[in-house]
Amino acid sequence: MKLITCLILTSLALTSSVMQADEPLRGVIDRELAAGWKSKNITPAPHSADAEFLRRVFLDLVGTIPSQDETQKFLADADAAKREKLIDRLLADPRFATAQADTWDLVLFGRNPGNADATRKRDGFKIWLAKQFADGVSYDRMVRELLLGEQPGSEMFQVQFRSQPEEATVLVSRIFLGTQLQCARCHDHPFDRWTQKDFYGMTGFFVRVVVQESSSGNNKAYTLGEKSTGEVLFSGAAKDQGPGKKGEPVKPKFLGGPELTEPVMPKDFKEPAAPKNGEKMPKPAFSRKEKIAAWVAAPDNPYLARAAANRVWAQFMGRGLVHPADDFTEQNPPSHPELLNAMATGLKSHQFDLKWLIREIVNSRAYQLSGTGSLREALPTSFERARVRPLSAEEIMAAMRKATGYDAEGKTPANLGNAGNEYFMRYFGEPTNGLGEFQGSLSEHLFLNNGEHVRGFVRRKKGNLADQLLVSNDPWEQRVERLFLSVLSRPPKPAELTKFTEYLKSDPKPEPRLEDAIWALLNGSEFRFNH
Amino acid sequence: MADLSKPSMAWNLTWDAEWVTAVTFLGSSRRVAAGNNLGQILLWELPAKAGGDPPKPVARLDGHINVISRLTSSPDGKTLISASYDHTVRFWDVPENLPAATEPLTLNARMIEDTTRRKSNGAKVPPAMEAKVAVLKSTRTFNEHKEWVVSLELSRDGKTIISGDDGGHVLIWDRDSFAIGKRWQVKGWANAVALSPDCTQACVSERYPLVFDSGRHAAVKIWDAAKAEVFKDLSAEYKGMFFAAAAYALDGKTLAIGRGGELDGMNGSVTLIDPASGKKIRTLAPGHLSGLTDLAFHPDGKHLASSGRDTVVRVWETSSGKLVSEVGKSRGGQFKDWICALAWSADGAWMATADMAGAVQIWTFPG
Amino acid sequence: MKGVAVTGTGLVLPNWGALAQAKSATEAAIKNKKRCIMLWMNGGASQLDTFDMKPGRPTGGPFRPIASKVSGMPMCEYLPKMATVADKLAVIRSMKTQSPDHPDGIYHMHTCYKMSERTPHPEIGAVIAKYNGNPDSDLPSFVRMGSTGNGGAGYLGPLYEPFGIGRDGKLGSFTSPYLPEEGEKKRADLFRFVEDEFTSEHKADPFASHRMAKERAWRLLRAKSVFDSSKDWPKAKERYGDTEFGRGCFMARKLIEAGVPFVEVGQENYDSHADNFVCHKANMQLLDPAWSGLLLDLEERGLLQDTLVIWMGEVGRTPQINNRAGRDHYIRAWTVVLAGGGIKGGQVYGSTDVDGKEVKDNPVSEGDLFATIYTTLGIDSRAKHYHGVRPIWLTPEGTGPVKELIG
Repeated sequence: MKLITCLILTSLALTSSVMQADEPLRGVIDRELAAGWKSKNITPAPHSADAEFLRRVFLDLVGTIPSQDETQKFLADADAAKREKLIDRLLADPRFATAQADTWDLVLFGRNPGNADATRKRDGFKIWLAKQFADGVSYDRMVRELLLGEQPGSEMFQVQFRSQPEEATVLVSRIFLGTQLQCARCHDHPFDRWTQKDFYGMTGFFVRVVVQESSSGNNKAYTLGEKSTGEVLFSGAAKDQGPGKKGEPVKPKFLGGPELTEPVMPKDFKEPAAPKNGEKMPKPAFSRKEKIAAWVAAPDNPYLARAAANRVWAQFMGRGLVHPADDFTEQNPPSHPELLNAMATGLKSHQFDLKWLIREIVNSRAYQLSGTGSLREALPTSFERARVRPLSAEEIMAAMRKATGYDAEGKTPANLGNAGNEYFMRYFGEPTNGLGEFQGSLSEHLFLNNGEHVRGFVRRKKGNLADQLLVSNDPWEQRVERLFLSVLSRPPKPAELTKFTEYLKSDPKPEPRLEDAIWALLNGSEFRFNH
Repeated sequence: MADLSKPSMAWNLTWDAEWVTAVTFLGSSRRVAAGNNLGQILLWELPAKAGGDPPKPVARLDGHINVISRLTSSPDGKTLISASYDHTVRFWDVPENLPAATEPLTLNARMIEDTTRRKSNGAKVPPAMEAKVAVLKSTRTFNEHKEWVVSLELSRDGKTIISGDDGGHVLIWDRDSFAIGKRWQVKGWANAVALSPDCTQACVSERYPLVFDSGRHAAVKIWDAAKAEVFKDLSAEYKGMFFAAAAYALDGKTLAIGRGGELDGMNGSVTLIDPASGKKIRTLAPGHLSGLTDLAFHPDGKHLASSGRDTVVRVWETSSGKLVSEVGKSRGGQFKDWICALAWSADGAWMATADMAGAVQIWTFPG
Repeated sequence: MKGVAVTGTGLVLPNWGALAQAKSATEAAIKNKKRCIMLWMNGGASQLDTFDMKPGRPTGGPFRPIASKVSGMPMCEYLPKMATVADKLAVIRSMKTQSPDHPDGIYHMHTCYKMSERTPHPEIGAVIAKYNGNPDSDLPSFVRMGSTGNGGAGYLGPLYEPFGIGRDGKLGSFTSPYLPEEGEKKRADLFRFVEDEFTSEHKADPFASHRMAKERAWRLLRAKSVFDSSKDWPKAKERYGDTEFGRGCFMARKLIEAGVPFVEVGQENYDSHADNFVCHKANMQLLDPAWSGLLLDLEERGLLQDTLVIWMGEVGRTPQINNRAGRDHYIRAWTVVLAGGGIKGGQVYGSTDVDGKEVKDNPVSEGDLFATIYTTLGIDSRAKHYHGVRPIWLTPEGTGPVKELIG
């Protein structure tokens, strides 16, 4: 019934092409997607069940699964507005900030960032990033701070480009402007409008940035400085390089925009001497870094809002309206152009408040579609079923801990140890093929099957899930129910209840069987993915 | 006395047949020899005073058939010694009076060819720089190396030679009799081979240049030259670093080593070491962007010059580590050109540099 | 229960585990299908410094050619052992390809399709695994070591996904179960039940991929002794060279013999934008014994005629030597070498001009090369597949096998 109402609304809306200014974005989302389904004759998946929605939105917003307690309360709640209320609660949860920081950290650095020695440990950066989300700092301001790198922690973004201003061009254009420039580094872009001049024009803004290192003991600290001189010297296409070829300085030029106008430096200008350890470099006479930061992060930058809206959409809906999310070109148009416009416009009129955009997306019926059905695509092109994404390494770790009661309630989480973290990163860090699709790997399963780290989660330990279920005198049926609620955030289906109860009763010593039971649920697709 | 803080270019000697890879003065004479990637060697006579048209080469030394890696001369300037990728070390008697100049030579042949090819795009073809040279044949050939001879040094007294090759072989041998005093093999390739002035010690950098493979190897060791045994293994302190050049100071109290190779020496700096203890004295900063290529102590014993892949030569005061001057300047571009090698004149007032772009630069340091 | 294996369908079968020793009918059938080893020169090896040398030309560089067993097929002085097996080699000097950089070139030279099309094409290893692999084998059908392809199984699905093992052929961590076999089996059955329940309503591809990977992990554990080369290596290393790459080549031979249809061994360090000659000299000294050793070993065991050995990378390198003593990527004229598996050896196919800048005759595209490879392995190079509703062929339209290369 709900679906029919939705379709009627859609056809009504389609008759008027003018969007209402005060219409909530969630409505636009549902209308635009429904129009797409209609034109392609697609029947979308049904509305998600409560438990399905609960787990999905927990993972997406706070990076972990709900506790058994939270699940039971939510499922029992009869309030018709409970989903919207839950969303509001999670958006206000401190874990929202840390989970979004994890997500964006991955966007900004990837798993193998440049200047690895310095960027391997970036706790300070993650703390800074989390603070931006916790304080509700607007996206444009956050981008500006990332490019300025003057707040403690924020410098790490540019530290990854140390002595490699070209890498800054590639990443800044891709992440914040949704534009792939890397091809134009060695030759004019073969398929796009970008030339080497565009590439090195952008690089001109980063070429004067200096990464200063100061150390006290084992801890190295980094600050960004900027010189007053220094140019990108351009000597043509890589294939035409030869000995003796001189480079010509390239003027900084905003991508697709004008050249930078800057004051002429006095002829006798000399860079001040390099500062001593711990001293900050003096500010340059004219800061190109400030100019690029202001330009990229300007609310009216032609790329910024669209790229951000598309990326956030992709984060929650699986694929960008422009897909891949950072490849805006004429050859790769958005699947729902009006929706992208609405999101970008809305983001601007809401002062680049990402939380607003996220709230609208996860409140849409589209986000809340079920993950069931016969469609095989992980990321349905028309968004007609919930997307299926593997949990990130960070989410897997957090979810396994939560599911198995690894961390006793109310206490600081125990440390898994560096080795454990590293294994999770290695085996769950990049589970996709070159095209971004999930590929199950043998090594992931060898680790799950045989690794002591995973075993540590399922084994009985005082106070953990296995222990709670073993000390209980409740009938096994009830304990199986708690097992499912704890690991999969839903009660067992009748067949599951029977099977698991039998399994646990089959052995006079239930402990090893219970380990198996927890392990089997942790290893299943239902746990491995957000769906 | 030369003022090393004020370099000035005396002449740029064009020779663009290929990269100029090696250069040396001949004893205390005004003669300079340079070699290139094709195995050719040219000889110039420099005027006594800087200025005027660049001098033309006077002789061509024929014999090598692959890259000249190293040139040096006997202290009396009468014998030129050349090491090459063709596995040989050749000796050339260079007489006071050269035979008649018979062979024509175009010094900017490649530039003419390139610009002619690009003429339709508006390239200007420069006038030919013609020279006529005498031809010398090598008098003796040392054939004990079976691989590229990549480093070679003659002892201060001119009697003993140390040479190293890409098979990892280090040979110490008599310049006149070719009798091999000591030989040993290191792991990987033997690069940056240097002999202490008293011939008791040698420095060898070892290398097997893989990038992402466990077979990758780089080490630097000081050897007891008489026993052919390792005296100090510095590899732990300079873990994984490749050193492209090494040189002992005239008094033997300082050993300079320089990091090289673009992959290994992104910021190839010079490290000064006490050869008696193996302890680091200091590192000279800044390094050569994209790697250092050559090192040469100044005859005054107080200064050291380093050249690099940044088209720059730096002159350092060794006692303070102070940068005295930069000779030449970085050519710029995304990719850098190299100064492949450098040499001081015997009086320390002149410097010759081998430029990959096809030239030898002669610098002078007016007082 | 020892010696029981479980197939992809969950069926319990008699032991296919130790395939090296098994003499089953299935194995006999699969032995008739050809196999393939790909030596992947990651980064792109220089044709001018290996098989298409231009001595005396400005593009020639410092290496010198030596004569090989086959007249007209000189090769680099640092490939002396390869020169003695030249009669087995078909050297294609006229590769003319389209993807000039690493990710796209690696993809293109593993799938014969452009990466920018964004259709998930399968890598050559997955194709060979599908057509020439034994579906009942406990061993992975597509094994690789070192830096290799980036496309995976693509639209062929998780069954044909690559299994990476250590460059030295050793299995990775976590290959020793902590549960006894009986316990493993119980737990596995419970997992299968959980998975069946979930996927009765959830059909997205990642779930199948997840399940398949799990099943394959279990099957692999039963057959892992095949990967242990510690006993044979001390002797083999004399032939293959005591290097990671040499050991990888030896492992490839062992796995092929055990019935794995496709093994890829990556050799690193070829992307020599700087110091090309230093890099190539070091690389060739590892490559020469490993590659020649592999060919001779296969021949001695009677496997060479049914085992194609491919030597290639994603790009060639520029004839011009740049001012970092490097060679950059080059796709207008470069070299790939094939041997065994029904390839007619002892020939040079195609040629380049005097400086190696352009193909002079018989250009070969990615599609032509792959069609040649598939054809000689008995695979229809125009086999049709579907990605969604869209038909896709194994090799692009307008390409076809080079008949002269096939014996």
